Amino acid sequence: MIKTSQLIKRVSTAESELEILRGIDLEIKRGETAAIVGASGSGKSTLLGLLAGLDAPSSGEIMLDGTNIVNLDEDERATLRSEKVGFVFQNFQLLPALTALENVMLPLELAGIGDAREKSEEFLSRVGLEERFHHYPRTLSGGEQQRVAIARAFASQPLILFADEPTGNLDTTTGATVVELLFGLNKEEGTTLVLVTHDNTLAARCQRRFTMTAGHLEEAS
Amino acid sequence: MKSPLDASIRLLIRDWRGGELGVLFSALLLAVSVVVAISGFVNRLQYNLERESASFLAADLVVSSSNPIPASWMDEVSAYGLAQGETITFSSMVISADDEMFLASVKAVGGAYPLRGALSVDTGLSQVSTDNPEPGTVFLAPRLVQQLSASIGDEVYVGDATLTVAGTLLSEPDSTTGFFGYGPRLVMNAANLDETGVLQPGSRVTYRLLVAGESDDLTGFKEWVEPQLVQGQRLSSVDESQPGIGATLERARGFLLLAGSLGVMLAAAAILVAARQFGERHTDQVAVMKSLGATRATIRQLYAFSLAWLGLISMGLGSGIGWLAQSAMFNALAGQLPSEITRIGITPYITGAITAFVCIGFFAWPPLARLGGVSPLRVIRREETIADATRSSDLVLGTASLGLLMLWYSSDWKLTGALIGSIAITVGLGFFVAQTLLKGSRQVGSSAGSVWRLALAGMHRRGTSSAFQVVIFGIAIMLLLVLTAVRTSLLDQWRLQIPEGTPNHFILNVAPSDESSLLTFFAERDIEVGELYPAARGRVMAVNGQPLPDWDRFEEGARQREANFTSTDTAPEGNKIVSGAWWEVGTEQSLVSLEDGFAEDIGAKVGDLLTLRIAADEFSVEVASIREVNWESMQPNFFVIFPDKLLERFPNTLFTSFYLEPDEKYRVGELLDVMPTLTIIELDVAIQEIKTIIDQVSQAIELVLLIILVAGALVLIAGVSSSVDERLHESAILRALGAGRGTLLGAIAIEFATMGSLAGILAILGSETAGWVLQTQMLDLEYQIQWVLWPMGIALGAVIIGSLGTYACRRVVSVPPLQVLREL
Repeated sequence: MIKTSQLIKRVSTAESELEILRGIDLEIKRGETAAIVGASGSGKSTLLGLLAGLDAPSSGEIMLDGTNIVNLDEDERATLRSEKVGFVFQNFQLLPALTALENVMLPLELAGIGDAREKSEEFLSRVGLEERFHHYPRTLSGGEQQRVAIARAFASQPLILFADEPTGNLDTTTGATVVELLFGLNKEEGTTLVLVTHDNTLAARCQRRFTMTAGHLEEAS
Repeated sequence: MKSPLDASIRLLIRDWRGGELGVLFSALLLAVSVVVAISGFVNRLQYNLERESASFLAADLVVSSSNPIPASWMDEVSAYGLAQGETITFSSMVISADDEMFLASVKAVGGAYPLRGALSVDTGLSQVSTDNPEPGTVFLAPRLVQQLSASIGDEVYVGDATLTVAGTLLSEPDSTTGFFGYGPRLVMNAANLDETGVLQPGSRVTYRLLVAGESDDLTGFKEWVEPQLVQGQRLSSVDESQPGIGATLERARGFLLLAGSLGVMLAAAAILVAARQFGERHTDQVAVMKSLGATRATIRQLYAFSLAWLGLISMGLGSGIGWLAQSAMFNALAGQLPSEITRIGITPYITGAITAFVCIGFFAWPPLARLGGVSPLRVIRREETIADATRSSDLVLGTASLGLLMLWYSSDWKLTGALIGSIAITVGLGFFVAQTLLKGSRQVGSSAGSVWRLALAGMHRRGTSSAFQVVIFGIAIMLLLVLTAVRTSLLDQWRLQIPEGTPNHFILNVAPSDESSLLTFFAERDIEVGELYPAARGRVMAVNGQPLPDWDRFEEGARQREANFTSTDTAPEGNKIVSGAWWEVGTEQSLVSLEDGFAEDIGAKVGDLLTLRIAADEFSVEVASIREVNWESMQPNFFVIFPDKLLERFPNTLFTSFYLEPDEKYRVGELLDVMPTLTIIELDVAIQEIKTIIDQVSQAIELVLLIILVAGALVLIAGVSSSVDERLHESAILRALGAGRGTLLGAIAIEFATMGSLAGILAILGSETAGWVLQTQMLDLEYQIQWVLWPMGIALGAVIIGSLGTYACRRVVSVPPLQVLREL
């Protein structure tokens, strides 16, 4: 499902060129769950951004469901994302001007899926927010916001779901609920899940665990 | 996305609900409303002012002639579908039933006279009449009523005709034409003219054909009649009939156009600020949408359609508001303006629509178009650079498009050039000065107290954004300063044109022997009388021995000129010597000073020898100086002036002028009782009418200025409120760290006040430049550097922007920090 070879990412700063990723080789199969852990600044989020096609690498290959996304331009990557990729972010990234329901509908509308409303209502109900369809994000608690984000991620039924510190902004209890939801839905939908986290409990729930250290990735046995 | 059109409506509705659209929509609405309101108001006002000034002629076009107007011309007027009327004016003795006699200026009226304006007649009934006299009846001016001791119903005789007095003439629209019809007015019906038998070959009569109608038809008739005019016939239109009024109206029109253009610019500035803010607020949203799979094209389409909807809504709503606003303005002036209902026509709406289009296309769109380029990576890395919301290319493109819009709007490249030029100076200098000073302020700040340090550090950190705000504030203040300055000099100039106590009566034919009794008459009644000038009627016969063609031959080029000659040894006030020099007091040399237009007519320059004739005497004088005369001043002005000693040699009479309050009008009758040989020219009605027009236009200008001030204030508010967002987060952190509200508010106040005074400096630089061009090139006014504006502009900038900014940002220190931090 996901395969990278010799993935390198460099960024130029005022003083010098910084190599953030130093040749990453990684393969994750369809339906697997994988966690990437590592210290702040080790390059986990950069790797996630590249895998999801949010950014382009300096060199190397990224195969996503058989397509080498390195050869795609930004718009082609966007189209690929709308068809195959879902996201859950640390700070939820809900659009403040949209209600919970509208936030969930957004990727479905972007992908041109017809029954956006019905699907969205279904997934919001599945995360337990059937009472909150027409609430704006600012009136929802952090846990509720993250549940809306999870509904949004699964509603478009992506092949791959990327999660960036999904519990990072939540307390332990709320975080646990969210994790249950995430893995529950993942199992039901058969999605490939790649998540970046500091949370070892969360990482432990994944089938595969990778550790990022100064731009190098190693799989924990 | 299934349909960008559909999605854009939903985006718009959601943004509206979320309060994201407020500022942008208000700015667009403001643009369209201001443009429709001002352009509609100017159209209506101009139409009414033209009507008003047409009433000075009692028509749109007048053909005057010393011979009867050919009947074929009247047929031609009808053929063009124009309305017509006629007046025949002459002097005639009027005799009352009691054999009282008085020389009156008779005006026989026929056709639809007056075509513009109205007669106003007291017929003894409660209502003032505005109809022409019926055949067999006359209206008498109050002084004629007094002189003839006549009352309504009495009979008077004009030549062989016996006519009945039907009313007292209170005012007539064309009283200022026919300046030489001395004596009080008698208005009769033209049907009785033949009966009088006073018009004989050789009589001094002026026939006027009055024409009014649509401007195309008028132009057609004008072009038809012009080639047929012969000696003694003249065509006058509104502009030429009253140089004073013509110039006044021209300046007023210029001012209103200027005001309208400034309205457009201010609105554009507001839109630029609002779109920038809208774009910044949507950056995160776009990043999320892109991460969820939206392509660059989808994003651009979405925002393009949203803007298009917004434009359509603001066009519709703005046109409505604009219409209401101009109606309200117009009604506010209703007491002063003719009550005719005039529609504003379609033009203001088209202007509004085009303005909206330009504003959206060149001001709102560029920051939004760049949203397509926002990196989706922003969703996981916030520090990922934002698409820079304003680029200098936007400003250049925007300013250029505004220039074209203004050029189209005002058809005046000087006005456009002056404003665009000064805005370019403000923008260019603004970014340079603002960034340099803001950098400097950082160094000052680091050694200053904590409030100042906080303020200056804030300004410095927001470098480009601060500079942008300074420039926007600078432009808004500059435009307001320009408009206020121009308005002030315009009104001052008008006030000077006819100051209080301007002589409104002239006395001619004072015999030198009557001088002392005349002065005694005025002294006894405590009426101030002007200087007595000697006057003699004379003619210029030759220049440098070269005889000029006879004056009544109708041909191009220099010819003999007849004029009233006067003498004085001190150069008249308000006259400017353009070449040569004034003579010494008491000189016995044969010198002359000529008005510049007169000198040009006869082809004379300084040093030339003129041959003149007064009565039967011919003599030569040397041209000592050429003067520019202000004909708008309503003061006695002369074409030809001699040294005192020279004119003493010729038979002459004296003339002078004086001012009478309206309630002292009967003094004219008293004076004529004492000295019946005097000729008195009454200009009080004419001067009053000019004053009325000036008052009306001044009020209109004040109103328009008020609207523009409101527009300017909205720009400032938009500019200030756009910076609230970025401060919220910072302030929350500082408050969480223990900074007091007082410290934060103090820092905000200092920051805005500093930006305000920088904006003040820019505004003054720009406004002095624009003011110079506008006043000297466009409005034909004197220009003076307004030194007083400098400290005022800086102080006002600091106070206004400082308080507006602090007010707008008060939320920044009152929202609980936790709430802010949670939202981010």
